[in-house]
Formats: sequence, structure tokens, C-alpha cells
Amino acid sequence: MPYSHPDVIRAFADAANRHPDRLATADNGHLLTYAELAAWVHATAVRLGPRPGTVGVVTSRSAATVAALLGVLAAGGTYCPVDPAHPEPRRRALLAASGARLLLTPDPDTPTSSGAKTLPIPKPGEAVPEAGNDPAYILFTSGSTGAPKPVVTPRGAISTVTGELRTLFGLTPEDRVLQFASLNWDTCLEEILPTLTTGAALVFDERAHSGSFPRLLRMIETERITLLDLPSAFWHELVRHLTEERATLPASVRTVVVGGEAVSPVRLADWCALGTDEVRLVNTYGCTETTLITHAVDLHGPLAPRRTEPWTAGERVPIGRPLPHVRQHVSEEGELLVGGPSLALGYRDLPEATAERFVEVDLGDGPERCFRTGDRVSLARDGSLVHEGRLDHELKVRGVRVDPGEVEAQISGHPRVGAVAVAGATVADHTTLAAYVVPRSPADAPTLAGDVLDYLRDRVPGHLVPSRITVVPELAYTASGKVDRAGSHRRYVSSSH
Amino acid sequence: MNVDAVSDIFRRVLENDEVRADSDFFVMGGDSLLATRVLSAVARSWGVELDFDDFMTSPTPDALAKKIASMA
Repeated sequence: MPYSHPDVIRAFADAANRHPDRLATADNGHLLTYAELAAWVHATAVRLGPRPGTVGVVTSRSAATVAALLGVLAAGGTYCPVDPAHPEPRRRALLAASGARLLLTPDPDTPTSSGAKTLPIPKPGEAVPEAGNDPAYILFTSGSTGAPKPVVTPRGAISTVTGELRTLFGLTPEDRVLQFASLNWDTCLEEILPTLTTGAALVFDERAHSGSFPRLLRMIETERITLLDLPSAFWHELVRHLTEERATLPASVRTVVVGGEAVSPVRLADWCALGTDEVRLVNTYGCTETTLITHAVDLHGPLAPRRTEPWTAGERVPIGRPLPHVRQHVSEEGELLVGGPSLALGYRDLPEATAERFVEVDLGDGPERCFRTGDRVSLARDGSLVHEGRLDHELKVRGVRVDPGEVEAQISGHPRVGAVAVAGATVADHTTLAAYVVPRSPADAPTLAGDVLDYLRDRVPGHLVPSRITVVPELAYTASGKVDRAGSHRRYVSSSH
Repeated sequence: MNVDAVSDIFRRVLENDEVRADSDFFVMGGDSLLATRVLSAVARSWGVELDFDDFMTSPTPDALAKKIASMA
């Protein structure tokens, strides 16, 4: 295998990374370093867009033609030089034969009649057109109409937050980060992107998901995991296990990040008593619409404020202070609004839902776009926020936001269901969903709960399937005639065991 | 025998006294997080390290006790 050289653009990028400050081109006394040339090549590639096909380049004996050549290749295009000294008909014939639809030229005033669209080669040092508003990913949140809402997050938001999280987590290339979160939720991005943009290692291991804590702890130890990012509810169970079994957290772990729902002050007190004083425990808060994490606070460990008294039941554990990129505002109702560069573009093709949650607010410097989180918060003395509840009916089930209206809308689709209410229920200090179903005909009552369960399992993911479905003769209603979810739950909860 | 002890674990974890030998943990409101408590309790009582798959295929005290007996 005599020819096994790396791709030429990859080799150029490697050279630029190894020698950013060395001279790359000297163009009649104008000097460019590798870092500068690489930025120029990148700007040219971005201007062309991905896979531009054949690109004609009007040549000049200058570094600009080099930037164009490498830029075309970096974009995945096909380079075709066009000699400006040739007569116009010949240039046109060559361009037509090459199939070029784009023509890069150092002088945008060069007349062309080739049929190809003319783009100027960017100037060296010219800012790259921001990819910031280009949609980067779509993830879904629960929607009250029964259909999940597609949240469109721009490239700039995920870039900003990735950078902030590298700092928050204090990542170094020595770190080994466990990939724990489901790859279908945004939390996995806070494991993947900060790690791989730091030069740290991302570790996948099936022993993390077996349900056995001894196995998980052995895995953390043998894989020398340094950072764990866990749903709060799972961390609660880990603390319980460590406490009850008198087990120890492997010494490799230096940071544990939690989030997704409220941290229990009782589990936190247990954690603090475990001899974990050298381990950072970081609580985090954020919405899919504001990209991963917007608020964080060290609860225990070397960077946490000292507490003289242990945490006690009934206290509320803070969700944190805003990260540097976050603008926050608390409305008169106590609702947290979040602004800044990490906001999503909105809900795809849902202008009304978008207008309802993404609003203009004046935070002091004129109107600014903010996301209404729906979370009620209060401000603690140290400036951190404390979560006080929801302004709507949204619930957190296993760390995932669930609008009970979505589950009700799905259950209502069952032909033998007359009415339905879905409420949050607490089973052994976990939030679960309880559904109360009124059959269309009393004759259906005996089999309806099982039928609805099968019906839902075919249609929605597990976190939207109530852990208990109770068939009842009627629901509770509010004075205004709307279904009273909490009231229905209270009326039947004792008989649902 | 083990069935009663496993039923006790179910009752404690689910905070529900109506667990019987044939009660399905996941129908009684148990989820994967609560299941980890059952698995930890089983490991403590019988020294048997089960995982989710074992529990999902034996979700009642009766079936789980048999599984434990076969592995102990």
C-alpha cells in the first residue's frame, strides 16, 4: 500500500494546528501565518456552502487564489481555474463545460456572462459569515395538544453553551467523562460537546445502565471516570446506595453534575456525610429552549460555600446563578425569563406557541428576546435562584418535562374513553403520572385500564405512559367547568392502590 | 421462603401494603429508578447481583424469588 497519505485538506488543517504562527504565504511582502490562512480558507468554504459542486476560480498570482483553491476543496467542491487573460467566449465555454454554477473571483467587478453565480473571494481576515443562526439540531418537548413541540436550536447557541460548560466543568484533556444520558435528550450534548472540544475522553459503558450500583461503581473505578453528569433522581438513588451499603465513590471522580429536577436536601445531607469533600457536586438548571444549562451552583466540594449546618428536610436546594452568557429576568409573578445568545429559534412551524413563550422584554437596555420558562423562582441571599414550582401544569417525570395535556390528548384518542385527567402522583418520593379514565360505556370499565395502557405503549415513549391508570365513574371539575386534574387525583388516589 | 422477603422489599420500595406474590412491580407504579432499590436490597439480602433485564423478565415477588434461588 504505497499511497496512504491523509486527505490534503486534513493535512493542511493538521499543519495549521501544529504551526499556527509559522509563515504560510508571502504575497509580494504581505505575510500570512498558517492560522490566518486557515481562517481565510474557512471563510471561503463557508461562503461557498457545503458541497458546492464545481466552482470556477478566476485566478490571480496571489495568496487569494490559494485560499480559493483550498476553500473549494474544504467545502467539498471541485476546483476549476479560469484564466482572466483568456477571451470572454473561451472563458464562458470552459465554465459551461466544467459544469460550474459558482464563480469565485478576487475582483467582484469582473464582468461575467457565464451563467455561473459570481461570489467574491473573501478578504484575508474577513469575519466568517456567522453560522450562528443556522439551525443546529431539533429536539422535542412535551406539548399540551398531544403533539410534541420541535425546538430548533441554532448553531451559535450550542457553540456558546459548549464553551461555557467547558469552563463550568473545569475540563482538561486528562478528564474521562462517562456518557450516561439518553442520546435522545439534550443532556447528552453537555457530556459529548464540552468533552470533545477539550481533548478529554468520552466513555460509553453498558455497565452504567444495568440497574446495579455495585456494577456501576466498579465500572467508574476501572474506567477511571472523572466526571459524572447524572439526572438528579438517579443521583438520589446513588446516594441512597452509597449511604445504606457504606460504599465509597471511586477516587477518580472529581466532579458530579446533577440536574433535571429538584435536588433532595435529605440526599444532599447524606452526600455531604459520605466523605466527598474533595468532589465537586454541581447542581444545574436549564430548558431545551435555552440550550442545556443556564444556571449552576456548587452544592458541595472544594468550590462550594461553607455551610455550618447540615441540609435538612424542607429546605429548598438552589438551582444556581446564571452562567456568564445568560441574561435573566424574574417577572412580577415570579416567573423566570431567560435571554441571551443561548435561546432557541423557536418551535418549528408553530408560530403561536413560539410567540407565547419567546417574548420581548426590556431588561434595561431596550427590548430583548427572552424565553418564558414557566418556572417560578425566588432569589436567595447569595444571588442564586430557588425553584418554587411551575406556573402551568407541566411535570417532571424522571427528569423529563411532561405536559399532562399531551398524555390526556393521547388517551382521549382511545375510542372507548369518554373523559380523562392526568395528574402527577408521588410513589416513594418519585413523581409519576396517574391517569383517571371515564369509560364511554360502563360495560367497558373492567378492561379499559389495560386497553388504554396497551394503546399508549404503541403510541408514546415510556416516560409519557402513566404508571397507574384508574377507571373511575366521573372526574372532578373546577367551578368554571374545566377538568380538575389535582381534584380528580385527590378524589380517587386512596382507592387506586 | 424468599417470596415473603421479596414481597416485603416490594412493599417497602413501593410504599404499598397491597403487594402480593403475583403483583407486577411495574404495574404497581414501580419504575427503573425504584427498581434499582429492589436490586440493591436483593444484593444485600442474598448476595445476588441482578440487573434490569433479570427484573423485567421476573417482575413479581414469586418470579424474582425463583430467579434469586436459581442464582444464589
